[in-house]
Parts: sequence; structure tokens; C-alpha cells
Amino acid sequence: MPSPLPASLKDPSTLFYQSHAVKRSVITSYWIIILFSIPLWWYTTSIQRLSLPEARIYSYAQRHLKIPVEICVEDDGVAPKLQDIFASRLSHESERWGDVEPHFHGRSHCPDTPSYRVRNGPKPYVRENEIYLPLYDQHRLSSTFDVLADLINPCREATNHNNRVVQFSPQYRLAFTLLNEDAAMGSSVSNWDIQAGLADRIKPILNQLRPLHNFTIESQVQYHGRLAFSPQTNDESHGLTPEDLTVFINSAEWSLSSSASNDPVIHFVLFIPSTAHRPLHILTSGGNISPSKSFLLPQWGSITIHNPPIDDAGRNNDLASQINDQIFHEFSRQLLSLLGVPSLPNGVEHHASDSTILSRWQIDALKRRRAVENTKGAQETLMSIVRLVNQIDNMPVKDDVKGDVQGALDALEKTFSAKSLQDIFKSSAEATTLASRAFFNPGMLALLYFPAEHKYAVYTPLFASAVIPLFVAALKEIAAWRRERREGIERERQ
Amino acid sequence: MHLVAFLYVLGFLSSVWAFSTAAVNDLFERNAAPGASKHTNNWAVLVCASRYWFNYRHMANALGMYRTVKRLGIPDSNIILMLADDASCNLRNKFPGSVYANPGRHLDLYGDNIEVDYRGYEVTVENFIRVLTGRMDSSVPRSKRLLSDERSNIFVYMTGHGGNEFLKFQDNEEISAFDIADAFEQMYQKKRYNEIFFMIDTCQANSMYSKFYSPNILATGSSEVGENSYSYANDNDIGVAVIDAFTHYILEYMESINKTSQMSMQDLFDTYNPDKINSHPGVRSDLFNRPLNKALITDFFGGVAQAEVVPPMEELLDDVYQALPDAREETTTPVDIPSHTTPALTFTPPSNNRRTVQLWAGLGLMGGLVAWVFSRPTTRKQVS
Repeated sequence: MPSPLPASLKDPSTLFYQSHAVKRSVITSYWIIILFSIPLWWYTTSIQRLSLPEARIYSYAQRHLKIPVEICVEDDGVAPKLQDIFASRLSHESERWGDVEPHFHGRSHCPDTPSYRVRNGPKPYVRENEIYLPLYDQHRLSSTFDVLADLINPCREATNHNNRVVQFSPQYRLAFTLLNEDAAMGSSVSNWDIQAGLADRIKPILNQLRPLHNFTIESQVQYHGRLAFSPQTNDESHGLTPEDLTVFINSAEWSLSSSASNDPVIHFVLFIPSTAHRPLHILTSGGNISPSKSFLLPQWGSITIHNPPIDDAGRNNDLASQINDQIFHEFSRQLLSLLGVPSLPNGVEHHASDSTILSRWQIDALKRRRAVENTKGAQETLMSIVRLVNQIDNMPVKDDVKGDVQGALDALEKTFSAKSLQDIFKSSAEATTLASRAFFNPGMLALLYFPAEHKYAVYTPLFASAVIPLFVAALKEIAAWRRERREGIERERQ
Repeated sequence: MHLVAFLYVLGFLSSVWAFSTAAVNDLFERNAAPGASKHTNNWAVLVCASRYWFNYRHMANALGMYRTVKRLGIPDSNIILMLADDASCNLRNKFPGSVYANPGRHLDLYGDNIEVDYRGYEVTVENFIRVLTGRMDSSVPRSKRLLSDERSNIFVYMTGHGGNEFLKFQDNEEISAFDIADAFEQMYQKKRYNEIFFMIDTCQANSMYSKFYSPNILATGSSEVGENSYSYANDNDIGVAVIDAFTHYILEYMESINKTSQMSMQDLFDTYNPDKINSHPGVRSDLFNRPLNKALITDFFGGVAQAEVVPPMEELLDDVYQALPDAREETTTPVDIPSHTTPALTFTPPSNNRRTVQLWAGLGLMGGLVAWVFSRPTTRKQVS
């Protein structure tokens, strides 16, 4: 037995906070709080990962868009022959015909609304959705087919061509710049008639391409734009070598477009060399003067060089209207080539009564190409979303992402089931836009990756100091309680 | 014996023929695309992950790279510069408004035309990952975005204080090698690049690219795991180290490169000298699909890869648009190809497959003959 305490000291067992009930309820309440907060902690730190409709994505990603083209041939006998030629071409041009499938019908089997009509005519020309071709000459039937093939599905084997065309976007900005190298030296161009140029040469094209893209236009005139290199000089004339062309744009000093929006920009630059560098020509790789005045930078835009005559008085003049027209004509050609509008095949003409610049055949071919690209793009993006979500564990997937994925899938479904080319194109564009939006959703940012050791390193110093006393106190209390119980039992036995 | 000799000659000739067509075709292909990069535009993401005056050198590193890529033709709109930017106007800077690249202060990197896209506290791991993956709020302006596509070559440069598989951002947070690898994979999945050149100057830098797993990435770092990267030199008036050794020697080499230079990445890597740099720089090229001696420095540091001369309009004032250039490739002369383009429709080069078959058939025939001749020594003896 312990010796009795002096009277001045209280017996610790009589203190109220040393009573077992209070002590134990304090410790238990700590543990209850901890246990109850674990689900809360779990809920607030977990990442919301909604499940994506993976099965549907897989099934749509594997489907292949094949755009049917119904062609009504004036003569019943010729149609099967054309179909036969197509079948024989298909065997060795299978890659080219992977996305487009023409069906030739004789007049009596024509569908109600065929895509195109082929009529007999001596000289090939197109009008609206009709083409006039020599049909009855058996020997030329194969070349007739080639013309049709080039119209419906223009070859794009050359990689250069693919590189040149800008990537699809529903919205483009066209930036026109009249750039004088140094107007202070005189004989430069002080202004151009941009409104006339746009109205005559550019706007008609943009109007026709409206079903595919929206365009915004900006323009500017600059009076001082130094070259970052000096052109080659050989007696009286100056030349740009092929290497010079690639570094022609002095991007450090020229500002050629505003950064008002995030739409892709296509640049058109009319460059007026200073009198010190005039006339400025483009040189061929052999060093000779090339007859061309302009060059393209793939996907970026085009540059045209104009050498106005040197004014004796050194004045700066406005661009003559005829030259202005030529320049914008040149710009319009380059615009078409940058947008990937195919040209009519050799020898095929646009009918004189048709006042439009582009025939329906060309626009349709472009729509087909873009629809195929967009569908592939949407499929690939959806697949990559699925792959990344599976691969990166802490990538959140929220409602808006799921909604966009669903939307993209619905649009893809429409693409595959649509009948008219415009509908196919529209829904494919929607599919690719929605799929990209889902991919680029700001909420999809995976939280930072921490290896397991880092987590221990962070959490141990934080929690160990708090949890160890709790553990120790709980263990002590449990031990005390068990000892008491044992003692109680022994006392009862005695 | 005559038969044997005849067959032998036949075999030899056939193999020669196969080899020579192979060689000719190789030459043809090389000229058509001279090991060239397929990109049409260049981007650069330059990150200085430190702040505070004593990290002057990291700001100088990033600004030095900025100056170089800009000089070599990447426009400001295609450069994302992330910089604490607290050195030039620091109270302790004796030369306000300047950041110098070398002791003796010969080159002011701050210049008059610096466009910092992410400044000060905006330089965070999250923003960096957002720039790479493109997962931005729709209100973020164009200048802060990496608007690259599948034809873009991207140069990513990072500098700061780091360790094994991490890089500190402003003494506040850190990015790990896994984060960057995942971000690159996401870019790859969304086709946001053609090729990436990743360069990092920090301690144990080579660990930062060890986790990459996406294709077409070339990476280099300043030091091995367990090794420090050191600064190049102090400037006594500025009072701190002005630039790091690895970056210094790269920038020094870059000064000899101009926009049309034909030097390759291999040439750049060959200049690495561990004695001067005081650490062992590393190169990782297993994910990169082109030989390093074909990858030009200007593929990553330059502006434009190709230009295409447009043939003049034949009838200038004619309204007919039938003579557009794009259908007739033979009239267009791409600049980087010597002018022997062939009309695409009349001549198609033998396909790869056929060439391989020729080559192997020739070799097989020759090998079979040799084996046959050697396996019958008795016959030979008898004949002779």
C-alpha cells in the first residue's frame, strides 16, 4: 500500500478531471472526431472521375466514314462501264478511294436527288452540279472517268500539298498587310485600295466558302519594315535565294497581325522593297531570276513582292488600280491554295454562264476532304481522351467533359447517318470541335504527381506528432481499464 | 565449272543490280526529303523556375535562350517566356533595367524588346502544365497560349534549382519528371507537336528527362544524377553569378549559328565539354526518330522550314481560275528540293517493298551459289 499523502495535498484520484469517466470520454471524443472526419477527408480530397461512355467511343472510333457520291449518267449503257472502270481502279488505288465511294447510275435508275449529273458534250465543262463530257467514244471512256475522279476526289498524294493547307478551323482571320521596306527613301506605296481588292477578288470566294468557314478580315499599311538580312546584289537587281525566302519574314520586328482572337490567322503580305533593294526578284536554286513574284509559307500565308517604278521626284504614290487588282487576284489564288480548294482538272472549264468563281464540284470536293479529316480528328481525340483517363489516375473527369464527349459522339452518329454532304460536313465539324473542347477542358488538368515516398515524407511529420500522443493515451487507458477489471475480478474471488 | 562460273557471274550481277537500284532510290528519296523535318512552324517554351536576386543567373539563362531563338527567327507570338523577372529592376541591381549574360557585362540580355508572357507569381507548375497541354480557360489571351499543331517543332527550356526527378518552382512548389512526361504524352495524344527538343539546366538535370515515354522527343540536360550544375562566373560589380556554365557554352556555340545554318544537333552535342561545364551533360535520343546528324539546329531554334515559290499567273487579267497552282505539282518548285521534281502521274518511284525484294533476292541468289560452290569441294578439285 502507498504511504498516505500529507493532508495539504489532495488525493489525485479525487480530482474530477482525473476521474476515469472524464478522462476516457475526452480520449474517446478525440477518436470519434477522427473516425468521423475520415470519410469527409476522403470525400473532399478524392477526384471526381465520371465514367466515359467507353464502349460507344470504341465502336464509333472504329467506324470508317465513306461518303457516297451518287452520279447520274445520261446514258444507261455508259453507267455500268464507268462503274467497271471504277472497280478496276479501286484495286490499285485503294488508298485514294478509301473515303469516297462513287455510284454511277443510268438515267432510268437514277435516285431522286443525285449529287451530280453527267451529260454528253463535246468539250468538258461544268455547270452547277452538271458536267458535260464526251460519253460515247469508247476509247476515251477511261479518260472521261479520270476527269470525273479528279473532280470528285482530287489526288492529294504530294506531301507538299498537305503541308501547305491550313488545318481546319470553323473560323479564320485573314490579315492583309501592305509593307514598305522603307517609305522614307521615297518611291514607295503610300496606300492601296483594299476595299476594291477585297470586294472584287476576295469576298466572292469567301461568300462561296461560307458553308465551310467563317472569316474575319483585318488590314494594315506599314511604312517601315526592315529585312533581317541583305538580299544578294548582282548588277542593278537584287535577289532572294531559296534560303532567304524561308527567313524572309522578320518576325522580331514586323507585327503582321493583331492578336485579338485565338482563331488561326492566314497572312497576306505585299512587300515593297526600298529603293536601295529595287528591283527585288526571287531567284531559283540555280541563281537565275524566277518569273514569279510571290511565294507561300505553308500554313502561314503568302508574300508577294512588287517593284513599283522609281519616281523621279521620290514621291510615294498610291497603288495603281490595275496593279491593285492583279495583286488581289494573286492573293485570292493563294488563299484558295492555302485553304485546300482543289482546282478543276486540266481541260475542264467552268461554263461561261456561271458567274461564280468556284464550281460546286470544287467546293463539294473540299467539303468531302474536310469531313473526312474532321471525322478522323474527332475519333482520334475521343480515343486519346479515353486512353489518357485510363493511363493517368488522377485526371479528373467532370460533367462538362462528359457532356462534350456525349455531344461529340452524337455528332459523329449524325455524320455517319447523314445523307446530304452539307449535313455530313456540318456534323463532322461539330464532332471535332466538341471533342477538342472536351480534351482541352481546363478542369481536365491532372493534379500533380507525387511518388509514394513524397507522400510519406509530407504526411509523417504532420500527422505523427499529433497521432502518437493520442495512441499512447488510448493504449494507456485501455491497459488501465484491463488492470482494473482484473483486480476487480480478483477482489471478488477473495 | 563453266556452269558454276556462269551462275556465279549471274548472281553477282543480280546483286549488283539490286544494290545499285537501292542506292539510286535511296539517293532519290534523300533528295526528295533530305532527312528533313516535317514541321512548318516553331514554338519555344522558356521557363526560369527561380526568383530572388541571388538566382540572377537563372533569369540570365532563360533570357539568353530567348534572345537566341528570337534571333534565329521564332516570332514573339510563338515564344512563351515564363520568368520571375525580378532581377532587372531589383534594388540590388547596380545596373537597373539590364540583365547581363557574362562577367564584364558585354551583352545586355534585357534589351528593349522583351515580351514576358508569365511573370512573377504566374510562374507556377500549374500554369506550365496548362501551357503545354493547352487546357486553358477560354479567357486566356493568345500570347499566353501554346497554339501548336502536329506540324510544330517545340523547344522547351527549363532552368532553376532541382534535384533527382524534380525542379523547384520559386521555392514554393515543385514539378516532377513524371508531370512533364505526362504532359508531353497528352500533347502527343492531341497531336500538339511534330518534335520536341527538351533542354534543362539544373542540378541532376538528366533525371528530369528519364521518365519521358512519348515519341519524337529529343532531350538534353546539364548534369547526371548525383551531380551538381555549376554557374559559369561571377561579375564583381553585380555581385552574383551571372549565368550557368552549361547554358553559357550552348549560347556561345549558338552565336555561330545563323538562320540558314546547316549545323546539326549532333554538332551541338559534340561541343559539350565536361571539363569546362564542370558536370556531365546528357543526351537522350532513343525517342527521337531522326538521326541526330540530320536534325538541324534550326529545326528547333529557327523560324520557318520551307517556302514555296508560286508560279506566275499566265494570263494576269484573265478571270478564269483554272490555272491554280495546287493541282499541278510539277509547276510548283518547293524551295528545299533541287529542281528535279518529276511529274507525279507518269513516273512513280519503285516502292520500298519491291526494292527490298530485289535486294534480298540478289543477295539470296549469290549466297546460295557461294554455299553451293563451297559445299562441293570434291567436284571442284576434279574439274581443275
